[in-house]
Amino acid sequence: MKSVYLLQWQRFRRTPVMVVSFFLLTVLFVFTLAGVDRNQQQTVSTFANESADEEKVKAWIGQLNEEGEYHFILKGEQDVQNELQEGRVNFALSIDDDNFQMIVATDDPRRVSLEGHVHQVFRNELRLREVEEAFDDESFRNEVEEAKDSPVLTVNTEALAGNEEAFIYDNQLQTLFGMTLFFSIYTMMFSLLNVAEEKRWGTWDRLIISPLRKWQLYIGHLLYCFTIGYAQILVVFLLFKFGLGFDLGERFGTMLLVIGCYAFAIVALGMLLMGLVKSSQQLQAVIPIVATAIAMLGGAFWPVEIVTNDIVLFFSQGMPIFYALEALKGLAIYDRTFQEIAQPLSFLLLFGVVCMGIGVNLMERRG
Amino acid sequence: MLETEELRKVYKGKVAVNGVNLFLERGESVGLLGPNGAGKSTTISMIASLVSPTEGDVRLNGKSVLKNPNTIREVLGIVPQEIALYPELTAYENLKFFGRIYGLKGKKLESRVQEVLSLLGLSDRQKDIVNTYSGGMKRRINIGAALLHNPEILIMDEPTVGIDPQSRSYILDMVRQLNEEKEITVLYTSHYMEEVERLCDRVYVMDHGQVIASGTKNELKSILSSEEAILIELDREYPSLTRELKGDETILQTLETNKGLKLIVPKGSRLLGKVFHIAERHEAQVINISVQEPTLEDVFLHLTGRKLRD
Repeated sequence: MKSVYLLQWQRFRRTPVMVVSFFLLTVLFVFTLAGVDRNQQQTVSTFANESADEEKVKAWIGQLNEEGEYHFILKGEQDVQNELQEGRVNFALSIDDDNFQMIVATDDPRRVSLEGHVHQVFRNELRLREVEEAFDDESFRNEVEEAKDSPVLTVNTEALAGNEEAFIYDNQLQTLFGMTLFFSIYTMMFSLLNVAEEKRWGTWDRLIISPLRKWQLYIGHLLYCFTIGYAQILVVFLLFKFGLGFDLGERFGTMLLVIGCYAFAIVALGMLLMGLVKSSQQLQAVIPIVATAIAMLGGAFWPVEIVTNDIVLFFSQGMPIFYALEALKGLAIYDRTFQEIAQPLSFLLLFGVVCMGIGVNLMERRG
Repeated sequence: MLETEELRKVYKGKVAVNGVNLFLERGESVGLLGPNGAGKSTTISMIASLVSPTEGDVRLNGKSVLKNPNTIREVLGIVPQEIALYPELTAYENLKFFGRIYGLKGKKLESRVQEVLSLLGLSDRQKDIVNTYSGGMKRRINIGAALLHNPEILIMDEPTVGIDPQSRSYILDMVRQLNEEKEITVLYTSHYMEEVERLCDRVYVMDHGQVIASGTKNELKSILSSEEAILIELDREYPSLTRELKGDETILQTLETNKGLKLIVPKGSRLLGKVFHIAERHEAQVINISVQEPTLEDVFLHLTGRKLRD
């Protein structure tokens, strides 16, 4: 088994192009789509309403930019309209003296969060102004700021039922997790082509009639595919966590376990596909179809939470990537514990065991 | 040492091998002759425990290997028809891997790899990628991979297909050397009659999944002991001449060769004059004519009615 496993690495050293390509593609896609070069802030095109006082609008923008993950930029109304029409931005913000309006060109999951942030800033400020006007007390604003720093009461809210967290969309993590898991399917499944190649070359038969056991042969190959897929995902995560400052949360150790379960499920799915197809050429044709379908349905390209079609949602429940994303986002965004992600992990393991069993059986039956 | 007992293999209702009995004594070199599709490779696969027979048994030193395939796997080296190597690795890396899976390691593995490379005449090219080798060199490494664990039995399935005459000659000499000096028992499959004649002590002739004749080379040739072959070399093809000779009842068989015709005739039939006469009538230019003893090829033709490479 060890010899077969090491042999695959030896072969990889001679022909690393495929694996390296998928690694680079992952980095490129995440880097481009997750907006790494924007200092991790989402830029929001903003313009002043015709009737608005420009100084007041600038003051609003200053407050909006004080905190949060958004960066509001004041532009001319016509420029913003052009951006919206040309599809360069999905939404924009129009600001009046004491009001605002969201201009939406295309539905975007980030809009809800953005609107919440703007709404909060406006509401707080307008309330303060009302109080200041009512009491004619300019020191009130300072008192509020002090009270915010040292509150009299701290309120913790807990729900007894229906305690599912509200959907939080993090574009960076969605892209990082989705793209990394998607491209790793290619790496793992194309690495499994080694088995098909061995059968075509005749080396498989040579190994079968050696003292090696058949299970050792399979494990050697599968372990290699698992390792290479696992390593690719891990390196990409580490690169974006430590190299580009992505916030992967505090539970990176548990994340390693999720990656392991996912890699196992995908390798097993690869075995099933190998058992179903008749030649390595067929397998090469099937892999991109399966990988893309899994990614689209499973929520690698967009969050499943924004999907409303019941049929698509039904199919997404059968995709291993859906459960891996659920677990990874659970750890990174919602700070869930191992116990809380045990269910998706169990599904990944079950999926892997079933696929592996059927796949090996089919391959053996074919001889 | 090794014997098969009524081996039979049926693939999807089609009989590939039917009741094959053969045996190999220790140190023997045995040929398995037959045209493509005769069932040679399937027979070999069953002996090597790669394919389970539908019926029959394979015995090594009297014990069935079907129940315990490892008994034969440890003493068997098999050279498949295809180049079963890792093309992106060097010859050295390929041999080292195949040695390792047979349990060789450390200095023993290293020295064995070097011994085999030296036997193959490829010591100076051992660090080259197999993909860059010529067909003949790949064939040699293909054989080398089966020799690392010092097998007692070597089964070779058409090991010289598609290579140049020099490489073929090298391989045949090497196999002869392994058989004579190391006393490795060889089962050599080919449809090149001259290779089997050169290497093997005994021959099994297979056709349509069955052994149709077996024995030493002389025993097989004695099947045609009452016949002889007339070789006629012509400057070109003469279809009318061939037709007339094929229709002549005194000529047993008329076979077209690369250079002309081969006639199987009863020994001492003194047909040369008649042949010249017919050739003259057809205005055929005879370049050379000779009479020879029957070869295994003639025996095969006699037994099956077709040429080995048909």
